[in-house]
Amino acid sequence: MKEINKDVLVDASNRLLFKMEDSEYETLLSEFDVIQKQFEIMGHIEGVDEAKPMTFPYDIRIDYLRDDVPSTPLAKEDVLKNAGSVKDGQIKLPKVV
Amino acid sequence: MHFLDLTIREIHEALLAKKVTVSELVLEALKRAKNNNYNAFETILEEEAIKKAQELDKLEVPADNYLFGIPYVAKDNFSTKDIETTASSNILKGYKPLFNATVIEKLNEKGMVLIGKTTLDELAMGGTGTSGHKGITYNPYDNSHTRLVGGSSCGSAAAVSGAIVPFALGSDTGDSVRKPASFAGLVGFKPTWGRISRWGLFPFAPSLDHVAYFTRSVDDAGLILNCLSGRDEKDFTSSLKPVNNYDLNHTVNLKNIKIGEICGVIDSITDKNVLNDFNNLVEKLNKETKVEKVNFDTKLLESIYPAYVVISCAEATSNNANLDGIKFGPYYDGKTYQDVMMQARTNGFSELIKRRFVIGSYCLMRENQEELFLRAQRVRRLIVDAFNEKLDEYDVLIAPAAPSIASLINNSSDKLSSEYLIADNYLAYANFGGQPSITIPLGFENGMPFGVNLTSKIFNEEELLYIAKEFEKILGFKNLSINNMKGGK
Repeated sequence: MKEINKDVLVDASNRLLFKMEDSEYETLLSEFDVIQKQFEIMGHIEGVDEAKPMTFPYDIRIDYLRDDVPSTPLAKEDVLKNAGSVKDGQIKLPKVV
Repeated sequence: MHFLDLTIREIHEALLAKKVTVSELVLEALKRAKNNNYNAFETILEEEAIKKAQELDKLEVPADNYLFGIPYVAKDNFSTKDIETTASSNILKGYKPLFNATVIEKLNEKGMVLIGKTTLDELAMGGTGTSGHKGITYNPYDNSHTRLVGGSSCGSAAAVSGAIVPFALGSDTGDSVRKPASFAGLVGFKPTWGRISRWGLFPFAPSLDHVAYFTRSVDDAGLILNCLSGRDEKDFTSSLKPVNNYDLNHTVNLKNIKIGEICGVIDSITDKNVLNDFNNLVEKLNKETKVEKVNFDTKLLESIYPAYVVISCAEATSNNANLDGIKFGPYYDGKTYQDVMMQARTNGFSELIKRRFVIGSYCLMRENQEELFLRAQRVRRLIVDAFNEKLDEYDVLIAPAAPSIASLINNSSDKLSSEYLIADNYLAYANFGGQPSITIPLGFENGMPFGVNLTSKIFNEEELLYIAKEFEKILGFKNLSINNMKGGK
């Protein structure tokens, strides 16, 4: 398992696209002291490594293909209502290139 | 006592008999909402609610529609068309959804009147009711404002126990309705995962998220389920199983019911009042049926919480990636689009949420996936199998819903103790397995309520509600609120 230190946490928060204060990393590091001990309990359960990972509460039938029913899409003005930066009917962001 | 202080079924009878009008109910609810000092509301919908009430007053009250004209509130993580919906997070400040969540639509169609959107722990990720962007939500039973009401559905719990409305929508990913119900003297009900559509509910951890709700009686919980249950093509995880009639118009004989008490939970509790009242309940039940002790491996019970932390934080980390300040929420200028997102997320999330996301991200790192994320999913399987095996044998499993009354704000507990790891957090087992699970009031300690939880096998809501109704009769706590405390203060 990856060792926990401030660099690992900074890397994680950068990937998550937010900044944290130094004091927040300190709080998180001390939180991890407890959480890791809690996590360790899971390794002590008999048969845990043989169990199949469970992703949903029970087996469900999923219909990926739905009937093709025509519907009216949202109006462009409605879609853009909640966006903070709009120009000429499109969301405006800084240039990529 | 005002008509608003009655149960939904009783208010319906009063409306039918023309003893009260919808407008009178709604105006009283709005007055109480505006006077509340628990910090229960994100938004109070005065104008919209009065308008709808006046329209409903022009109609004949339908005898077979118990929900017609009843005021209610919804947790602010349900999408409501053209009404600001923030999930108590600054990153969604100003966001007005373009559609109603399916449950909101269904309640509207029945003629219920939404009078406000309630506070929650930010993005529903918390259990204290202290982390929303509007600050702490207080327990209506505690005038000194020193005790929590619990979370994450804190405002909804406060609105029902604070006698503002008889019903509130919430959501339950770990225990976010069933535990605050314990602290607020309410019925808190989470039907089976898939029984109610989640379309329009902001996702926290979709494999665990449930629509859930608060009422002041088990009977009312059945009336609400009649409205909310059923398949929704917009939510592919909603079940195709036919729905039953949850109008609880007959009774079950407890003699035919097999009840198991979860020993590991009870053994981890130190509060003598909670244990005493729970044992008194078991004694009373034993006069009608036999309550048997059910044992689970202690390590398995202690693993519910860490497995929940891993799975929920990991799912949340991924699900909230769309909160970037571009499509909705406050926009911040930047030199690059990454900079725009970075500023929106840095300013929009609280410290607590950031920490939860980093924990989730850590669990998903390639080096940690086997030992944390996949292991938690394996543990989930073992927990679900163990509980389902017992639920094949017993009609319901019972235990105190929480180890104590609502704790003091800023109270810190030993997070490695059995009491914390088991009794404080075991309810998440029914999120892992999706079983229907209900909390009802069990007793009072120094004027503060606490509850008992009953859980049954999946899609067994009807029987669970009937059994809970019998428990309610034995305990004598029905329709509790601060205006009707009975054995309370």
